[in-house]
Amino acid sequence: MSDIAMLDVAEKEKVQYIVVKIGGEQYGIGISNIDNIVRMCPIARVAKAPFHYRGVINLRGEVVPVMSLRRRMGLEDDVFTDASRIIILKLESIGLIGVIVDEVKEVLSLSDDDIEPPTQANKGKTSFINGVGTNGDELISIFEISSIIGDVDA
Amino acid sequence: MDVSQYLDIFIDETSGHIQSLSDNIMALEKDPENKDTINEIFRAAHSLKGMAGTMGFKRMQHLTHDMENVFQEVRNDNVKVNSALIDILFQCLDAIEGYLETVKGTSNEGTEENEGLINLLNNFLAGGDDAKDAPAAAAESEPKEEPAPQEAASTDSALFKTLNLEAEVVDKLKAANKPLIGMTIHINKECLLKAARAFLVFKAVEDYAEILVYDPSSQDIEDEKFEFDFSIIVATDADVAPMIESVKAVSEIESVDYDKVTADMYEKTEAAPAPEPAAEPQAAAPAAPKPAAPAAPAAKTSGQQAAANVNKPVTSRTIRVDIEKLDALMNQVSELIIAKNSLASVSNGDTGSLNGQQLHEQIEYLERITTNLHESVMKVRMVPIETVVNKFPRMIRDLSRKLSKPMELYMSGEDTELDRTVVDQIGDPLQHLLRNSADHGIEMPDDRRAAGKPEQGNIFLKAFQEGNNVIIEVGDDGAGIDTEKVKAKAIERGIVSAEEAETLTQKEIINFLFMPSFSMAKQITDISGRGVGLDVVKSNIEALGGDVEVKSTLGEGSTFTVRLPLTLAIIQALMVEVRDEKYAIALASILTIENIPVSSIKYVEAKEVIHLRDMVIPIIRLDKLLDSEPKEDDDENMTVVIVKKGDTYGGIVVDNLIGQQEIVIKSLGKCLDNNKIINGATILGDGEVAMILDVNAIV
Repeated sequence: MSDIAMLDVAEKEKVQYIVVKIGGEQYGIGISNIDNIVRMCPIARVAKAPFHYRGVINLRGEVVPVMSLRRRMGLEDDVFTDASRIIILKLESIGLIGVIVDEVKEVLSLSDDDIEPPTQANKGKTSFINGVGTNGDELISIFEISSIIGDVDA
Repeated sequence: MDVSQYLDIFIDETSGHIQSLSDNIMALEKDPENKDTINEIFRAAHSLKGMAGTMGFKRMQHLTHDMENVFQEVRNDNVKVNSALIDILFQCLDAIEGYLETVKGTSNEGTEENEGLINLLNNFLAGGDDAKDAPAAAAESEPKEEPAPQEAASTDSALFKTLNLEAEVVDKLKAANKPLIGMTIHINKECLLKAARAFLVFKAVEDYAEILVYDPSSQDIEDEKFEFDFSIIVATDADVAPMIESVKAVSEIESVDYDKVTADMYEKTEAAPAPEPAAEPQAAAPAAPKPAAPAAPAAKTSGQQAAANVNKPVTSRTIRVDIEKLDALMNQVSELIIAKNSLASVSNGDTGSLNGQQLHEQIEYLERITTNLHESVMKVRMVPIETVVNKFPRMIRDLSRKLSKPMELYMSGEDTELDRTVVDQIGDPLQHLLRNSADHGIEMPDDRRAAGKPEQGNIFLKAFQEGNNVIIEVGDDGAGIDTEKVKAKAIERGIVSAEEAETLTQKEIINFLFMPSFSMAKQITDISGRGVGLDVVKSNIEALGGDVEVKSTLGEGSTFTVRLPLTLAIIQALMVEVRDEKYAIALASILTIENIPVSSIKYVEAKEVIHLRDMVIPIIRLDKLLDSEPKEDDDENMTVVIVKKGDTYGGIVVDNLIGQQEIVIKSLGKCLDNNKIINGATILGDGEVAMILDVNAIV
């Protein structure tokens, strides 16, 4: 815990996260990576693409690939509802990419000392989160964007 | 004067002049007496010199000046043109191009002096007519000289020798077995040509003694990278006084401090870790100048330059556009505005309801304008392949001399236009094909004579437009591809078994050449034959949406045919439907569309084919390929789109035809672009996304 104490001194700056729901859990996505949030729209399937890519959408004239986070994390397949949203991430390495979430809940500011490192419980499995934040009683897993996007073959 | 704003123009025009020089020098070699060519060369060299001078690129100016001198003599008939001179001139051109590259990277000409080349030029002039052998010999020694200045742009051979001894400098001091003298020379503060004075001092000293150590390094002294004093250590048996006198005799030398030193003094400092710049050159007196490593600072500066190269790109990708093309574009944009206004007035009409007829007319008008606009914009992006192929005659000439095979390159269709992005990337593959022809295709002169061919080998490069494609053919009249040898090699490499090999067609065998690491060269030369050739050519061309094919007749030569799409961004496509998904097939690859009864499907080697107009065409079930949902009921007839990839045909089975449409190709994004059957997507009128099939990959 000593390093967290150090961080505490070093910076108290709060980072904003978009809190989303996938399955029963809540996840946070750092706002700096987010370009845009759009409602569900028709997704065109791309044959032979990796399973977790649902396809591509037309985002105001641009073709943007869309990934299912549920498929990526090995959960049950998506059920699209009125609450479903596509969060468009803008990444330097690959440009725009959309991820599908069940629901967007709120924007939350968390400082680094609100976030604890992820538990080592599920070792061996690729982890998509790099910390767990607390908001009152609720736990919010913070996504590690690079591990979601990276290793398409994994 | 700040000339940086002219840098772009300078770079642009210099490359133009270099190209024109290269072309004309080639022409001169064939026709050494042609005064027009000589004048043209003279003009280009003169402009180059002038521009380099204006931009303050002194080294470049120096080199071009000496080239101009040579041309001057040629023009005055004092010097005859021979191939040795042409060789030197081409080396000069390479050097100038080197300067230009450095300028592009750093806005600076760098420190390369090309003294060797300048000497060659001057020797040639001095030798004139009566010493024809001299330049030839000089040309031979040239390759040795050229790489050397790269690491230390030393201009004086005597200094250069000392530089080499530097590593064991202290040992050398000890081994000298002569009294050592340290000197610090102070130069008059008004002196303008410090480096020249220093040089004279060295000259004077060298009459009496051997200079062992320079501080600052000889490199820095030459570059005038020192204040008003510098130090040397010399070894001499001779009396000190006359030497000092002669040093003092050099004009603008203010004073000389000197004393005896011993190697032991330096050993101590040498032993101390990194004593490098500690010795202040200003420490006048007979002070012991440190044996600062002259090579090390030189290496450092070049390192810094390399770093600067990376960090300071000064040019952007630009394109020169014919003003007429821009005018046409402007006109069409004005028309577009008019069309928009008409549409607005139709929709704001007093009647309140839209007049169908009027609206329809306006939309047709708009359609015409957008089509024209698209064409114009495409034209603006089109550049002639000239810019790429122009360097090839020179390359073949060099290869011809290097391989001692007489050969000639014939080019046609240099004005064929291609999209800028394609032109930028087609250079390397074409170059490779040409080298391949020169190295493997053309036989040695003796073999050619034996085969009853003229000694001179012919290589040709033909470019022309064919429909929506540009075809570039690279061929030779050489030995052709020996399919038996290729077959043997394929078996040896374990690509096919001996039995399988027997059933292969000529074409299939030749296609082995495009497999990775399949080099046919018996010995590896630096021209080609490393086995990283044709497969790279193929993948480069395929990345541009094109393909490459070979035709070869043993004993008569081979021809590589490169097919490239005119443009990459917008294509005419046939829209088809598979289940409820829409796909686009590039119209350029479609031969016909057939309606075929399911009953006419035949089987060859358990694969579905159809027999159509004397052709056996394999059937490609698009729904299976795309993992679409299975169809519930089979129709009696199916719609088959017959596509063509080079000489190969395929019949793509689709559910429905939608129609022909102009589509804009969009990338699928980095995470999906390794897809094998889909090479992009497009957005349809209603906002729906449709995939574009990569016909080359599925046939």
